[in-house]
Amino acid sequence: MSTNETSSKMHPKVREAQEQMDSGRLSRREFVRYAALLGVGAGAAYAMAGLPSPAVAQDAANLPFPADDANAKAGGILKVAMQVQKIDDPATFSWTQASNQTRHMLEYLAMTGPDNVTRPMLAERWEASEDLKTWTFYLRKGVKWHNGDDFTAEDVKFNFERWTNPDLGSSNIGLSSVSAMVEDKDGKKSLIDGAIEIVDDHTIRFNLTKPVLSFPEDMYNYPTAIVHRGFKPPLDSSMNGTGAYTITENVVGDRCILKKVTEVGGQPFEYWGGTVFLDEIHYYNFDADNQLTAFAGQSVDAIYDFGVEQMELAKAIDGNIIAARTAQCLCCRMRVDAEPFTDERVRKAVTMAIDNAAIKPLVYPEGGDVGENHHVAPVHPDYQALAPLTRDVEGAKALLAEAGHPDGITLTIDVGNTDGPWHQTAAEAMRDQLKDAGITLNINVIPASKYWEIWTQTPFGATAWTHRPLGTMVMSLGYRTGVPWNESGFASPEFDAALDEAEATLDVEARKGLLAKAAQILQDASVMVMPIWRPVYCMASKSVNGYPAHPTQYHQFNKVWMS
Amino acid sequence: MAVTEIPSGPSVLDRLSKPKPVAVLVLLMWLPLMAYVMFGQAIGGEARAVLLPAIPATLMLYVLGIRAFRESRVAVIGLTLVFFWLLMAVSAPYLPLMDPNKPIAPFTTPFTERNDLFFWLGTDFKGRDMLSRMIWGCQRVLVWGVTATMVAYVVGAMFGLISGYLAGWWDEIISFVANVLLSFPVMVLFIVILNYLGPSGFNIVVAVTFASAPAIMRIVRGLALDIKTRDYVYAAQTRGEHPLYIMIFELLPNVRGPIIVDACLRLGYTTVAITTLTFLGLGLQPPDPDWGLMIRESAKTAMLWKFSYMLLVPALAVSSLILGFNLMADGLREMSLRD
Amino acid sequence: MLKLILRRLVQMVLIMAVSSLLLFAIFDTPEFKKRLAVQELGGFAVSALTEESYKSWLAARGLDVPFYQRYANWVGNILSGDLGFSYEKNRPVAPLLADRLANTGILAFFVFALMIPLSLILGILAGMKEGSLQDRTISFVSVFTTSIPEIASAILLTIIFALGLGWLPVKSAMIGGFNFRELILPVLTLVIYDFGYVARMTRASMAEVMTSQYIRTAILKGLPYRRVVMRHALRNALIAPFTLIVLQLNWLLSGVVVVEVFFEYDGFGKLLLEAALFPDVEVVQACTLVAVAVAVLSQIISDIGYTFLNPRIRFA
Repeated sequence: MSTNETSSKMHPKVREAQEQMDSGRLSRREFVRYAALLGVGAGAAYAMAGLPSPAVAQDAANLPFPADDANAKAGGILKVAMQVQKIDDPATFSWTQASNQTRHMLEYLAMTGPDNVTRPMLAERWEASEDLKTWTFYLRKGVKWHNGDDFTAEDVKFNFERWTNPDLGSSNIGLSSVSAMVEDKDGKKSLIDGAIEIVDDHTIRFNLTKPVLSFPEDMYNYPTAIVHRGFKPPLDSSMNGTGAYTITENVVGDRCILKKVTEVGGQPFEYWGGTVFLDEIHYYNFDADNQLTAFAGQSVDAIYDFGVEQMELAKAIDGNIIAARTAQCLCCRMRVDAEPFTDERVRKAVTMAIDNAAIKPLVYPEGGDVGENHHVAPVHPDYQALAPLTRDVEGAKALLAEAGHPDGITLTIDVGNTDGPWHQTAAEAMRDQLKDAGITLNINVIPASKYWEIWTQTPFGATAWTHRPLGTMVMSLGYRTGVPWNESGFASPEFDAALDEAEATLDVEARKGLLAKAAQILQDASVMVMPIWRPVYCMASKSVNGYPAHPTQYHQFNKVWMS
Repeated sequence: MAVTEIPSGPSVLDRLSKPKPVAVLVLLMWLPLMAYVMFGQAIGGEARAVLLPAIPATLMLYVLGIRAFRESRVAVIGLTLVFFWLLMAVSAPYLPLMDPNKPIAPFTTPFTERNDLFFWLGTDFKGRDMLSRMIWGCQRVLVWGVTATMVAYVVGAMFGLISGYLAGWWDEIISFVANVLLSFPVMVLFIVILNYLGPSGFNIVVAVTFASAPAIMRIVRGLALDIKTRDYVYAAQTRGEHPLYIMIFELLPNVRGPIIVDACLRLGYTTVAITTLTFLGLGLQPPDPDWGLMIRESAKTAMLWKFSYMLLVPALAVSSLILGFNLMADGLREMSLRD
Repeated sequence: MLKLILRRLVQMVLIMAVSSLLLFAIFDTPEFKKRLAVQELGGFAVSALTEESYKSWLAARGLDVPFYQRYANWVGNILSGDLGFSYEKNRPVAPLLADRLANTGILAFFVFALMIPLSLILGILAGMKEGSLQDRTISFVSVFTTSIPEIASAILLTIIFALGLGWLPVKSAMIGGFNFRELILPVLTLVIYDFGYVARMTRASMAEVMTSQYIRTAILKGLPYRRVVMRHALRNALIAPFTLIVLQLNWLLSGVVVVEVFFEYDGFGKLLLEAALFPDVEVVQACTLVAVAVAVLSQIISDIGYTFLNPRIRFA
């Protein structure tokens, strides 16, 4: 797809966004992401923003992968330490790890790169109607399944029909794009007739009930891998994909072996995505604690991730440490309907006595962002900074006294360390700060599995939230009145209204302001202490070239090569 | 590994178990320590004040112990090791140590100075002082280990007396249950029980009781079978005493001596069990320091020669305590055989 | 003798029945089911489930029927040779358990191959001359090594041989197939803990034999000391250690848990721990059955061996 072609059919919103960028109200990076979502080729979008495009293949093939390294050598096996999980049905994956196992076999319609820009993958390009309610995906031609079939619109339709089947229990039904294709019928969700329209073999159109901007982004959510139209779970009984590799062995808790596909039914297999360099990708099962040790012992070439507590160890090992900024966090929330937090003054005293900026360096000395006691992260494209928080110990004491606790108060926080021991470190730092305001914080450390049993009910708990691409997404998942993941019991019509308005607004700049309003309401209500947005770390040996860091820890090894 | 030779000569053991002042001193040492570790949070404020009487009591007990054990060098060494840790446990809050839970300077190697503080044993991955954690860590191991062993003994001895003295159906049932429990490998039993109850100090007591009581019951049962044919038991029976009275006042005092050696060994096993279970994530929970926990936390952060002190310190500490218990048992056995 | 063996076997089956029923009851609690759901779907997904979809999730795994019914099914399957299915590893239990037991078997083989000669020789040397310097040295060394718990010796060995000298690998995950070098540290760890105990028992038994009437007579008759020890004392002195060594199998099943977890060696112990924490009921059940069977069978073997080796019992 050439730039000219794009501009001729450019979505009016792109023009709007361009104007905003030119007047300085929209950053260049965000413009690129925004334009790409609206169907502008990433290269063109970078050009329009006047930014240097990252080394992504710029040729006519319009590939989402980085450009080939001129020094790259073909061959070799990449061994990665990661939990090896069950991969029976890609639509019901619960963890990123499982999707990494299948990622080089089962591919996605779109692909979000480390630069947070979404590029077409199995789709060649897409178009949105002016009201963002009709989306047309033009599928890439010449994509072959490993059984020799052509990849067509039928495959895509089959997948959407599976996801919207409530009996399957796929979490994809909750994506804003997919949920705009279903209706409630007799208390059961089902696909609306005519929501999916096959235009021709390689064109498919989706008619949505509400405007959705993030459609292409949703199509890289980890359970949206596209399977063959004849797919029946479990996956091992019908290994078939469009990727350059296929899984030859998957033993849960032990190993997952992927090999390059070279031929299909006697014919040489030609991968649509250009050259791939590795012969094989091996995943070996190591739990989170032992991956780094396995790496140090040179059993593996790369690892899925390691915790900040292992940083010194990592630094002492020969290899490249790769960090990515994320919206993963620790939300130390107080249930507004549980004593003593029913009194807003108590909650306020807690947040006032804590200095988030002082906690971050204790927990994550390098990288990461300081939280602002609401749930929109600086990496979110719809983030807008609020007035900086200041610590006020005396004020906290006064509030406590006013609330009937003149001699201080004793609180207990449940910590499950579900995402590593840094939760406890953060809680301990909070404890030390709260002491100054006369608040005694007991830290109740419980096993991770126990924590997940009580995470929505405990009066005061530290919950890890994963990265989500948009601030509105996570705010509506976690703080809207009565939603299942509303772990704080927060209920504010004012907040809900602000959030609704933000979600319905497509103008990026206006949306930011509206979301900031919702964030301000949340912050003022002192529902949580959100000290840190954590970075994620992984590691690869020096012989691994082009190992990408991705904020959601998705593995994209197409252009990785071993020296 | 619960097989124990039961010594027959009771004199040293009797000397140990009879005098009243010793019992008073033991209580003076033990109760404050237990109260401090188990209920320190509930006491709050100046909880460490409860430990004040325990410090002199521990020292006096040590002196008395040395005098009683002077015949056996091995036992004296064992006693010294055990009392070193006991003394550390009761005096930890009074020693000039850094806060064991406070992060100061991560990954400081031993014998170096940082932030104007000298770290004898370095700091761990969070920057907490290793020396302080090592010393504080013995509290929980000792208190939970000894409590668990004691409870196991109470339960085991009770069933052993009933089974041995009353015989008949009682014996059949109790012995069958004991056999069932004994046919599980200990670790399997621990894992199943703690996984069901959830990891905590109190639940370790329960698990250790399940695992150890059957073996104790067997020993006590054997002794009771022997003792119940003695004249003084017959005398009590003819006096028309209640079986409960006979079990508690006639049988119990006479089985006490032989099981002291077994108790020392069992203290060692229990310490191993607690440390191992905590390492596996089934035992004591953070954040308070504990040797098993120190190993668990360091096992993923310190797998490098220059950081290996983080693993070495707790490993040596726990080994020295267990060595102490085992040497004591050895010395006691040696002395009782000699008498 | 046969009657004794039969009695033991009946007891074993009874114990298995009781313990498996108990385990089923334990793992039937709502908390355990919830934990299983959390493991499979993730904590966030589970709390978003409606009551109805949670129920259908339970139904899909057959967890909605009362546990006695599940237990009856399970017993039926066991009797027909089907050990069940592992939720965690997503494969039938039988081949999984067989794999892991084989790995632990390899470990156990080397442990015994090293531990038996070492402990017997040391025990005999110590017991030959009770109270001598060599006796006291050996006794002290064995108390010392037995006092170092497996976790501590695993650490010490790793620090010295893997981290310090760099001779051996730190972990024993064996991802590239069987590797003998990766087996050395786990084997040494187990041997160091166990050999002292067997050596001490051998010593006691040997010392007892050496003070017995017939050995004294033999020595007084002027037979060479060496020959007395080799020909007369050893046979009798080894009866007790033999039974003890067989019983070590039972201990090994406990000991391997921490060693396998520490060294990341995929054996029976690691499987058991992972399954219990998951909770993967049918794997825990199968592991428990194996453990009980090993415990009881090793007891029977040790009894039989004792009878055969000790003529006084056989003819009495």
